Amino acid sequence: MFIQANPTLHIDHLQKRFGKFQALKNITFDIYPGEVFGFIGPNGAGKSTTIRTLLGILRASGGKATIFGRDVFKDAVKIHQHLAYVPGDVYLWPNLTGGEIIDLFLKLSHNRHTQKTDELIKKFQLDPTKKARTYSKGNRQKVALIAALSTEAQLYIFDEPTSGLDPLNEEVFQQEVLKLKQAGKAVLLSSHILSEVEKMCDRIGIIRNGEIVETGTLEQMRHLTRTVIKVQTAEPTPELPTLIGVHNVVIEDNGSQTLAVDSEHLDAVMDYLSKKQILSIQATPPTLEDLFLRYYDSNEVDQHAN
Amino acid sequence: MQTKRFQKTIFLTKFNFKRDWFKLSLWALVLIALFVGVAGKFTSLYGSKAGIDQIVKTLKTPAMVSLFGKMPQGPYTSADVFAAEMTVFMAIVAVIMNYYFVIRNTRGEEESGVLELIQAHAVGRMSHLAAVLIESFVLNFGIGLIYAIGLQFAGLSGTDTNGNFLLGIGLGAVGFMFATVAAVIAQLSDNSRSATILAYLIFAAMYIARMITDVSHPKYTWFVPLGWVEKFSTYQNNNWLPVVFMLLVSMILILLAFYLNGHRDIGSGLIATRPGRKNASIFLRGPISLLWRLNRISIVVWFFGIMILGMTYGSIFNTIGDILKTNPMFSQLLDTKAINTANLLLIKQFIGVLIIVFAVLALIPGISLINYLKTGENKGYLEIIHSKPTSRLRLFSSITLVSLITSIAVLFAGILGLYLGGNAVMDQPLKFDLFWNCFIGYLPPTLIMLGISTCLLGWMPKFVSLNYGYLIVGFFVKYFGKLLKLPDWTEKITPFGFIDKVPVHNFDVTTFWWQLLIAVILIIVGYLGYRRRDLITG
Repeated sequence: MFIQANPTLHIDHLQKRFGKFQALKNITFDIYPGEVFGFIGPNGAGKSTTIRTLLGILRASGGKATIFGRDVFKDAVKIHQHLAYVPGDVYLWPNLTGGEIIDLFLKLSHNRHTQKTDELIKKFQLDPTKKARTYSKGNRQKVALIAALSTEAQLYIFDEPTSGLDPLNEEVFQQEVLKLKQAGKAVLLSSHILSEVEKMCDRIGIIRNGEIVETGTLEQMRHLTRTVIKVQTAEPTPELPTLIGVHNVVIEDNGSQTLAVDSEHLDAVMDYLSKKQILSIQATPPTLEDLFLRYYDSNEVDQHAN
Repeated sequence: MQTKRFQKTIFLTKFNFKRDWFKLSLWALVLIALFVGVAGKFTSLYGSKAGIDQIVKTLKTPAMVSLFGKMPQGPYTSADVFAAEMTVFMAIVAVIMNYYFVIRNTRGEEESGVLELIQAHAVGRMSHLAAVLIESFVLNFGIGLIYAIGLQFAGLSGTDTNGNFLLGIGLGAVGFMFATVAAVIAQLSDNSRSATILAYLIFAAMYIARMITDVSHPKYTWFVPLGWVEKFSTYQNNNWLPVVFMLLVSMILILLAFYLNGHRDIGSGLIATRPGRKNASIFLRGPISLLWRLNRISIVVWFFGIMILGMTYGSIFNTIGDILKTNPMFSQLLDTKAINTANLLLIKQFIGVLIIVFAVLALIPGISLINYLKTGENKGYLEIIHSKPTSRLRLFSSITLVSLITSIAVLFAGILGLYLGGNAVMDQPLKFDLFWNCFIGYLPPTLIMLGISTCLLGWMPKFVSLNYGYLIVGFFVKYFGKLLKLPDWTEKITPFGFIDKVPVHNFDVTTFWWQLLIAVILIIVGYLGYRRRDLITG
């Protein structure tokens, strides 16, 4: 991944208050062309509020957010000419058909129903003649996805787009996002499905209680967390649990031990272990789940901050 | 029927009451305050023999019969006048209340998926419908009982206990009967919108049928279930037979509703949704065409429904404009020309009352369209539109425009209906100018009412429904103001109060322009609020 000078999306200390409730405290991140940015966080952390503020639906209480260098609230109409969006909950007018709604969305974005639209309808296996009233959640999502993916835009925003899709359709979605990326588009993908984020995203932002607690590539983040090591040594290692950066030491029946090591203390621990004659060693890099859990469990984060 | 089908009915009923208690009490409170309040004031309004004779003469004119129903035979007391004025009106309000609750709690819940959640538990198949019916039974007869007790204590002269209870329980029965009508219709249609439209069509048909039979052959009113309320003959014959009829019809409709409910799938109706177009037509391209596409059926139904109502009212002009019918003495006192002038005046006065009915009815679809910017937002329908290069100004002005055109068109349809219906029966045709005058006169206050809705939408989106309440107040004051001898200032609390003597006199040009100006200012102020607020307000 390379970083270009001009970000497509730039958010700086964005805040949003609803009465007394501070929904967004401090949101800061950038997205660059040709990049898929994963936006992850638990329910109610402020993902959808952030996205709605970026769309000019909500008015920010503080901070700055620009898309294509323009203010997201004041210049919403200009920005939206080059933007496509799929909301987390797609609600469609019950007495219109899926086909009618797709075309309407395209026309509102000054786009047309093209061959690509037909291909997407086929790939996602949507019956466009059915009234939206009869669609399931997944089918409603497909309508919004087909309209968004066949829209010519520079920035694509997807808010948990695959939560109602079956695995085949999820696969189609991932391929389409890859194409967007290759075409140099910027993509903001909010998701709960970590394997999806891990597979698709170049960089990740983790949001918790209205604050971005971490941004970076998955690689960078892995350094911030623990590696799980399964090790067997010839000599006993009584000091191991007391070493700085070592957690959850479990001694297995066969004498091997499993432990988690903070990435920044990996060196010292390896030094210690190598002096005890390593018989076998197996290291597992942290998964996104580990990262996720680490940031969501508030105690752990406080420790981390200390 | 097996008891299992009704498992947990009582639990669900309690739950319904818990959820709806605020709305239920609000409706009940307003209805009771209105009914008992008017009853309490009535003796002071129409206490004397002369006062009663005067008002009875008015109520016996065909115009009043068409609005309030046929008066029974005299002699009359204050209580008779009260029953004659209030019965049909309270029945109409009861129908609106029941349609609202029953359709919302049956088809509405099914549509939103709540019923599916409930039905997944150990709940009988019929329990949900049964709970809604029990809820409305308690609501209607509860209100009815309080009416009766209220009448006992209202100090209205000429009442008797039997009559008090007949009127109270009878109004409860008519409300419940229409609750069962709504329950049946909720089984037929697979969405609450068309269920509501269908239910109101049935109601409108009955209302028109009762009006025609009342004016021509009152005994035929027995064939119209809505007309049964007039047959109570409260305080005169105290006839309980109509109440028995209503309960019988309710029973039959309940059985029908359960039968239909048992023979269909959850989420579906008996009138199925058919597949539609694969692509959008070239006309569906922006907010205005979308709004038209979404609302075209209801706009057309409103337009022609109100036009038919107008024609029906018009078709009794020859009966109304016949002063000799009310008082044959006039033929000796006045020459033909004077009689014609007097007849025309009667018709004009009647039109003056009808216009407010049309204006209020025309505002209902208009206000509901403006409120869609809020209700549609809440339901999530507008979220993707907000992400499109469609400016807030375009969205706001589109919805305002469609709403203004709808209300103006429906108002015009009513007046056109009057003109067509009236001239079909009149020997001497009425000039179109007369009707045009009404239309132009009532245009500005109608626009002000819509302007108020845009202001609420822009600045206080949580309270957009308040304007319906204001509309009802305006209607009540205009419709009943003279009959209840309300103080003059009450007229002026809504913009309609400033359009006084149309069409007896020409409308006032100055009023026309300042009201129009206020309407424009309200809409602009509404937009300024809408432009800067959050579009999702929870």
